[in-house]
Amino acid sequence: MKYILFILILFLFASCERDITLDLPKTEPKIVVDGYVERDLPPYIILSRSQGYFDPINSGTINNLPERNAIVTLSDGINTIILTELDTVIDGASIGGVYAALDPVSYFPTMIGTAGLTYTLDILTSDGKRVTSTTKLHPKVDLDSTWFEIQEGKDSLGFTWAFLSDPDTLDNCYRWFSKRISKDDQFFAPFGSAFEDKFINGQTFKFGFNRASLQNSTAEDDNNEEAGFFKRGDTIVIKFCAIDKTTYEFWRDAETQLGNNGSPFAVPSNIKSNIKGGIGLFASYSASYDTIIAR
Amino acid sequence: MKSILSLILFFAILSSSAFSQTSKLQKFTISGYVKDSTSGEYLIGTAVYIKEIQKGTNCNAYGFYSLTLDAGSYTIITSFIGYKENTTSIVLNKDVSLNIEMSPNVILTKEVLVTAKKADANVKSTEMGKIDVDVDQIKALPALLGEVDIIKTIQLLPGVKSAGEGNSGFYVRGGGPDQNLILLDEAVVYNASHLFGFFSVFNSDAIKNISLTKGGMPAQYGGRLASVLDISMKEGNNKKFHGEGGLGYIASRLTLEGPIVKDKSSFIISGRRTFIDLFLREPFIDNNSNLAGNSYYFYDLNAKVNYSISQKDRLFLSGYIGRDIFNFRSAATGFRVRIPWGNATTSARWNHLFSDKLFMNTSVIFTDYKFEFGAEQQEFDFKIFSGIRDYSGKLDFNWYPNILHNVKFGLNYTYHRFTPTNASARSGDVVFDLGEITRYYAHDAALYINDDWDVTEKFKLNGGFRATLFSHVGPFKRYVQDPDFPGKFTDTIVYAKGNTVKNYFNVEPRISARYELTKSSSLKASFTQNYQYIHLASFGSVSLPTDIWVPSTDLVQPQFGTQYALGFFKNLKDNQFETSVEVYYKTMKNQIDYREGSTPDQDVRNNPDNNFVFGEGWSYGSEFFVKKAKGKLTGWIGYTLSWTEREFEDLNGGEKFSAKYDRRHDASIVLTYELNKKWTFGAVWVYSTGDALTLPSERYFVSSGPPISVDQSGNIQFNNNFNVLSGYEKRNDFRQKAYHRMDVSATLHVQKQKRYKSEWVFSIYNVYSRMNPYFIYFDVTGNSVDGNIGIQAKQVSLFGLIPSVTYNFKF
Repeated sequence: MKYILFILILFLFASCERDITLDLPKTEPKIVVDGYVERDLPPYIILSRSQGYFDPINSGTINNLPERNAIVTLSDGINTIILTELDTVIDGASIGGVYAALDPVSYFPTMIGTAGLTYTLDILTSDGKRVTSTTKLHPKVDLDSTWFEIQEGKDSLGFTWAFLSDPDTLDNCYRWFSKRISKDDQFFAPFGSAFEDKFINGQTFKFGFNRASLQNSTAEDDNNEEAGFFKRGDTIVIKFCAIDKTTYEFWRDAETQLGNNGSPFAVPSNIKSNIKGGIGLFASYSASYDTIIAR
Repeated sequence: MKSILSLILFFAILSSSAFSQTSKLQKFTISGYVKDSTSGEYLIGTAVYIKEIQKGTNCNAYGFYSLTLDAGSYTIITSFIGYKENTTSIVLNKDVSLNIEMSPNVILTKEVLVTAKKADANVKSTEMGKIDVDVDQIKALPALLGEVDIIKTIQLLPGVKSAGEGNSGFYVRGGGPDQNLILLDEAVVYNASHLFGFFSVFNSDAIKNISLTKGGMPAQYGGRLASVLDISMKEGNNKKFHGEGGLGYIASRLTLEGPIVKDKSSFIISGRRTFIDLFLREPFIDNNSNLAGNSYYFYDLNAKVNYSISQKDRLFLSGYIGRDIFNFRSAATGFRVRIPWGNATTSARWNHLFSDKLFMNTSVIFTDYKFEFGAEQQEFDFKIFSGIRDYSGKLDFNWYPNILHNVKFGLNYTYHRFTPTNASARSGDVVFDLGEITRYYAHDAALYINDDWDVTEKFKLNGGFRATLFSHVGPFKRYVQDPDFPGKFTDTIVYAKGNTVKNYFNVEPRISARYELTKSSSLKASFTQNYQYIHLASFGSVSLPTDIWVPSTDLVQPQFGTQYALGFFKNLKDNQFETSVEVYYKTMKNQIDYREGSTPDQDVRNNPDNNFVFGEGWSYGSEFFVKKAKGKLTGWIGYTLSWTEREFEDLNGGEKFSAKYDRRHDASIVLTYELNKKWTFGAVWVYSTGDALTLPSERYFVSSGPPISVDQSGNIQFNNNFNVLSGYEKRNDFRQKAYHRMDVSATLHVQKQKRYKSEWVFSIYNVYSRMNPYFIYFDVTGNSVDGNIGIQAKQVSLFGLIPSVTYNFKF
């Protein structure tokens, strides 16, 4: 309701809009954790620092972003390892701040995400700041079925649908991603991708999602009548993940924040984080995959 | 205990003074009603003044007055807004019943003034921070899109702030939007706005009288901390059949009134409706187009009948219903939304005179506000509803023991039924489990007494008490929450129907006093304490129809307000100018807000008050007011310098923060100029400090999904799609740019036939097209994959210059 009103006002009064420059007070940068434990894969942690909201974005500031030379310790309750900072090179520039459970020499995984385990993260930065977090990796939940359905009034465009039987225990949380083979180079999460079973516990139900794409994408099919739709002939991979509750809460809040973006009908608020001593998220994903051929 | 002792003391003083006979002469009573000579409408608040002893009274809400005097010859002068002064001479040697009819001032057209009731009433009365506004003057002022709005005129008074551009919500002396008691013929109106706040629900054609009390609230009113906006509907002309109406950009209006039995009984019925939706359907647009199925309209219907059984008994029955209906359909996705909301009120009243000194009013009142949201898309179906419903009974007495006292006492009772946000949803055959319907029930009772007392020639006292009892009762299910983990429940407690969940009992003292310094100046002071047992919980920073009302419960303590005010009042140039300066200091305890990051879904299968946090508020400042009440040019200048702060343990890190509407400077100039019988001009200029706003202090990047993943065929994927997220540090720490705007209007009066009068109102909103900030948002351009992310702040303004024309008629 608030979104509808907000969008309506943006639409109606777009002509009364102007660019402004704001002078916002500077704040002390915080440690940002962007960490993942995914089932059957080695855990990754990306460390960075927050910046002033209007700090310019250029190669200089981007270079300042990564939090390098931290000691990142990860425990799955059985083993405790120190993650290796990768020497990632993108477009010829060395990007630090990416830590992975890989052997520094052989790049062989030193730990693999295992369902049922609780992961404890302990980070000591080079300037002596300590940041901790935990996340639990849940077993995957398979979808009963997935399909493509042409939308009423359309010839070849439609959405993806699925049946899910939610296990009869509370606090099962999920996140939905999709990717079109040979059209998308990565998985995208549509708006509302993260949901919990608070209201559907133990039930079998049907739900659908539109096609998500890269923010401000310049691709043709993201800017014509196909935007938001899958098309007959697409091969679509659904990545359906069981996530833990803190991962769900982070994405619920993040989507609210991205959706509100200054709306006068909402109170801006911080995203709930499971990071002690910093901000961001230490997430867990347990994926199951389905392929749909849209016809 | 202290308050009970002072209560006893108060009654002892009151009774000894009210019953004492200081004069040896025999005393007699003059009493009666004051009415309009052409329509028979009773005139509320008319000043009735005895020239010889320079004392007087005001008519009550039903036009009744009573004066008890020594035997003798007297000259009675009555005066009222827009009416000729009336002088009657009487010889008082027995009790006299005297009904006075006053004729409207036809020499000047009626669109004139907020006149002083009695020439120097603002100096002489004990009232502080109370303002009556003339409906006819409101109609002569410029209005947004030509839609006359009484609440937007009230926002121009010092101490009253607008809820935002074009918004009919208002804040009084730092109080929240839920702290205003809005009454329509004694019935509470819980949501006084249409179209998400852009227009108020009051159709000015059906309204007789408006008064706003922003401080020194007398004891007959209660249940809110900040103000009382008391609106009375017209009774209907009991002499002749009349009609009036108008056509405007937004809505069209029609009012009919007339006698049922001449001089005894009359009716009025008044309707208003927007009509843009009529053009959003066939034949104007094609049923298959994208616009089809989208519509919005609102309407208001007011009706009232009255019957005078005798000089002693009168009956009134009045009702109001208003609805907003919003329909949205997306032709592309088949998504449909229907949102209806609105108020309905009914009041039945009986006036009875026990004697010429004792007047009674009995009321039975029903009021209901409801909001619904329904959405569907293919097999998915979702509904939200919320609301509040009250059943009330009131017994109010006015007792005029002698000329020194005007005593009001009475009893109010209300049974509330609160429906906070409830939802239902289904997808095909699967019904989502959104729990049982949550409701709160409460008894709300009050007992009050108030006396307006001439203690000495110069010193006048208005004092009283209001004793209130509030009881939250079952059926009720309390979800007991783990204090360390909000959202985790440890227990549920079930209360059976009628069982007490929590009781509150409080005594609220109210006192104000006036000391006359000279004939044209006085000093006034007031002290009031109020409890408020209902709370409006809002997820946003702007009041919306989705906001829910909740009562005080075992978790939510009643709001408690204390206000001190001091004022200096002076009239200049033979009462041509009225001036005043008031200073006030106010504290508000037990204020509520949602816990940071709360979302509406957390209210489902839960008690909404489990998601509240509690804090307190302060407001202090001074208000300057100069009013020119007489002559061709009338109007006022108001200026307010004020501070409004909040402090919540669980918000903003426990630090004090500015309320959104903490506007340091707030000024308005309102002018009406009557050139001749044909033309009247109006102009309004407003200025206020920008709103306090929360803006992000930092940004950070988080990848939108696992950054590295392996697909089914074992291929490794690197995902570098990052979201820009924001962090907030201090609440309301940023200031928007100042708001200012000028509006002008011109009214052309046309009278071709004796019976048919019409007028054209031309108005321009925002003459110099100031782009006032409405909100600021951040436009993120590009993305991390293409490596071209940028952030630009954008300011959105709602209205530039908007001209409008309205046609009004009367017959």
